[in-house]
Amino acid sequence: MEYKAPVEAYTGVVREVTIGKGRKSLKIGGENILPLHFFDQGSNPNPVKYALEVLDMEPQDWPEHLIQPFKDVLGDSVRWAKKCQELGADAVFLRLVSTDPAVKDSSADGAAAMAKRVAGAINIPLIIYGSGDDKKDAEVLPKVAEACDGMNLLIGPVQKENYEKVGKALLDHGHNASALSPLDINLLKELNVKLCKFFPAEKIVIDPESATVGYGMEYAFSLMERVKQIGIITKDNMTMMPIIADLGGECWKTKQAKENKEQGLLWEGITALSLLLAGANIIILRHPESINLVKETIEGELWQK
Amino acid sequence: MFDTVIIGENVHVIAQAVSTAIRERDAKVIQDLAKAQAEAGADYIDLNVGPMKKDPEENIQWLVSTVQEVADLPLSIDTMNPVAMEAGLKACQKRPLLNSASGKADSKEQMLPLARKYNCDVVISVMTDKGMPPDVESKVESIIDTVTYANELGIPNEDIWVDPIILPVSTAGEGQRFAVACLEFMKILEDVLPGVKSTVGLSNISNGVPGELRPLLNRTYLVMLEKNKLYSAIADPLDKELMSLTRGEIPEIVELIHKTIDGEDIDLSVLPQRELEYVKTAKVLMGETLYSDAWLES
Repeated sequence: MEYKAPVEAYTGVVREVTIGKGRKSLKIGGENILPLHFFDQGSNPNPVKYALEVLDMEPQDWPEHLIQPFKDVLGDSVRWAKKCQELGADAVFLRLVSTDPAVKDSSADGAAAMAKRVAGAINIPLIIYGSGDDKKDAEVLPKVAEACDGMNLLIGPVQKENYEKVGKALLDHGHNASALSPLDINLLKELNVKLCKFFPAEKIVIDPESATVGYGMEYAFSLMERVKQIGIITKDNMTMMPIIADLGGECWKTKQAKENKEQGLLWEGITALSLLLAGANIIILRHPESINLVKETIEGELWQK
Repeated sequence: MFDTVIIGENVHVIAQAVSTAIRERDAKVIQDLAKAQAEAGADYIDLNVGPMKKDPEENIQWLVSTVQEVADLPLSIDTMNPVAMEAGLKACQKRPLLNSASGKADSKEQMLPLARKYNCDVVISVMTDKGMPPDVESKVESIIDTVTYANELGIPNEDIWVDPIILPVSTAGEGQRFAVACLEFMKILEDVLPGVKSTVGLSNISNGVPGELRPLLNRTYLVMLEKNKLYSAIADPLDKELMSLTRGEIPEIVELIHKTIDGEDIDLSVLPQRELEYVKTAKVLMGETLYSDAWLES
């Protein structure tokens, strides 16, 4: 008797989120199939996207081999962002790290002006993250949202402590929200439930928090996997959002990545590859060569089906 | 209806008032708690004194006689300390419940023989020296071992109240799996060990959940466990709705929870708020909806 492989069909569909407008836009999510389950019934209309990270100040602790590709532009976020575009990124990820009270505590107005300049200078979509300090982000992100009014950017991190204020500003100025919770599926769902009371679910991206190889990546992996499964298989309305894996910063913090270039690229590439296997829809990287490394490894085709 | 045996949980040393009252020999605090639970319909009163490192005998004897002065109910002596346990059992006028023994070596050596010696009922949990068996199979395996051991000591199944150990449903990633495992375990217990009774530490299901939401989880889970033939629960008899549910006074809610478990189609749009909340809670406890503290809001 001939063997017939079982084919699963799923009921859940990840919401498709568009970042940016017109020609400067991209789509993530939209799949009704588990990551890499190309043998099952369903499809992923939007292959995984890669964003390169830009800081709003000169990086303080980057190793030489990470600085190298950007060495003429690192003091200037606008030129840095343009460089990322030249290097083939699908999007630019601008992190307003200088606004962190523990870094420079730079002003919300300054950050907003910077965000607007970067958005205007590039022809690819822009993702903007505050420093992650929930109080300061509650000041900074609304100003950023206002300065970039109507551009439909992806802005975050929206957290439990500031979702009301930040979420409202994003809504008023027509942006998407990246909702961050600390590696916990119950907290992640709770934040989405609360945010969705006034914010459209189809404009939310889940940031479940990423970790890197050797520093707890298993947790991030299991969590993303579970978010995807609960969305796709059990059709949980509050987890059927695309996932962002903000992993570059985590990787380049490690002493292994800092040690030499080859190791650094592998650290970032393997983490990226793992998390997209777990279900990430957009991946934030720091080194442009990591993008190629990941793309070559998965050869694209698997994600086109 | 089910008429689950309710073991009142409120005399508990984790409560500051109780621990102070024991230390200062303040009988009124303890007696008020005992009376309130007896009046609310508790069938047993649990005296949870923890490890009781200091003066175990004097303390437990005082506690037992203080409670017996005002409440005509059997007691559940709840301690890990075998010295306190023996002194407590000895002081009881009615046939007590030894709470609890387990499959741990020291418990087998020190607690189970006390149950035999004082010819009392005994709670035996699925815990072993290897820890908490997480799934149904390992729970069954461990309880068969321990109950067989107890039988060999001369304790009959009828005197054994098996405890599958309930863990908080809110535990990230795993809590719901544990909640489902305990439901399954309860369902098959009768087939696995004919004649044994069962009990659970009910309120632990809602540990870590915002306080105002806890009773709803406790009540719903009790009804779900009762459907699977739970015999008794260590619970809060002062929760009136919980007691009404277990006494069969709110059959429409019980029926609704049963329908939810059985996967029947329920039109949520026509349900009143309270009914809707019970359905949503049952779906969380049976693992159908992913838990979050905002489970009632979505």
